[in-house]
Amino acid sequence: MKKKLIAALNRKAEAIERLAEGEGRTAETLGQLRMPQGCTTIFDTGWETNPRPTYPVGNCQASARDFHGCAGDCWWPAQMPDGLTNHPEFDVQCPNIARDWRNLKYD
Amino acid sequence: MRLPFLFCALAALAVAVAPTSSQAGDRFYYLGYGIIQVIDGDTDAIVADIPIKGATREADLSADRKFLYVSTNRHLVHKIDLATNRIVSTIDLFGDGWDRFMFGFALAGDGKTAYGALMSRRAEKGEAVVGKPVVAQFDLDTGKILRSVEMPWGVAHLVRVLEGRTIYAIGQDLYKIDTTGPDLKVTETVPMFDKGMNLLPFWDYSFDNGGVASMNYYTPKFMGLLLVDQRTGAIDDIELKGEPAMAYSVVLAPDRKKAYAVMDDLVVIDLEKKTYGASALVAEGTSYGVNVSSDGRKVYVGAGGSTVTIYDAQTLKPIKVLQMASDGMDLRRVRF
Repeated sequence: MKKKLIAALNRKAEAIERLAEGEGRTAETLGQLRMPQGCTTIFDTGWETNPRPTYPVGNCQASARDFHGCAGDCWWPAQMPDGLTNHPEFDVQCPNIARDWRNLKYD
Repeated sequence: MRLPFLFCALAALAVAVAPTSSQAGDRFYYLGYGIIQVIDGDTDAIVADIPIKGATREADLSADRKFLYVSTNRHLVHKIDLATNRIVSTIDLFGDGWDRFMFGFALAGDGKTAYGALMSRRAEKGEAVVGKPVVAQFDLDTGKILRSVEMPWGVAHLVRVLEGRTIYAIGQDLYKIDTTGPDLKVTETVPMFDKGMNLLPFWDYSFDNGGVASMNYYTPKFMGLLLVDQRTGAIDDIELKGEPAMAYSVVLAPDRKKAYAVMDDLVVIDLEKKTYGASALVAEGTSYGVNVSSDGRKVYVGAGGSTVTIYDAQTLKPIKVLQMASDGMDLRRVRF
């Protein structure tokens, strides 16, 4: 058996080690990843980071014009309430992000 | 004495309800949030507002071009009478205890049903149950699921071809579904994933393009354009030469020699030389939707934010900017 490069120092770490006992490297795990529904067919390319140095800078910024496209579909969930499950009426509260953003009351 | 009044009232009523489609020309339908706005292609003015429940996503046009079906919130389908600019019916794909979300919508050839690529979920004894992804045929009057076929994960768009005898489902690969038998059957898989094709197929402009769905894709090396002829089912894969133009959507010019792509820039694509032409920065910001007038003279860019910019197709100079009532998802054109 290969010598461990790191060792558990406390009970919690030992418990994690026990959980991982017998586990091999699972390359197939990556293959089982399901892409977020509604995103690109292979991966999110990150086009939206928009490296352009002039206006419009950074499509993903809070002021971005395509803010709404994130709702319920994919892309930048941290910026958006979940439109399919928890906040299905998001479009009613904020149909125009530039005008209505003050209406947003999400935590 | 009352007759003239009655005549005037009837005449006024006739004018009020007269189908706007009786005037030949383009109408552009701005698919917004809680609203669809109609832009007249001659005057480039907003001529009608259609209140709608939900965030608009997909649209398809009936064969007689009288009704536009628009999906919202990924589970409602609204039927819009284009003569009166009113919603005449709405169905909900939620039902039988299942929440169903639609990522991909196409009318069937019969005019009474449609196909949706559906993800589903339900709660069972406090546990979440996730259904298999399917393409299902449903009744447009009731929303009832009539039949379905299990699909690989990730289908996000449907294209009707061969008058609905076949449905193309686009996900990591393109799956051909035969609809002619008693059951829906996946008969062929056209590989895309193994070819490194990365597609965001939310916008295809099939009815705007006169029956050709246009979807751009990217590989690590180039941008390509997938054209699906709805009449024949033929798939034309065009590899574009040069530095890729970043685009959400691509619409064909009426002569089909050119196409227009949009994201942060409006970019002309030369379909004959398979390369890029002129481009212009979209000053109003990132846009999802692009469309073109049926005479090819004007290009409409909008959705994403709450504006539509109208460009001269020759010079790519902005002619007009329309302020819309809401942010948007797309901009569709119907020629009357």
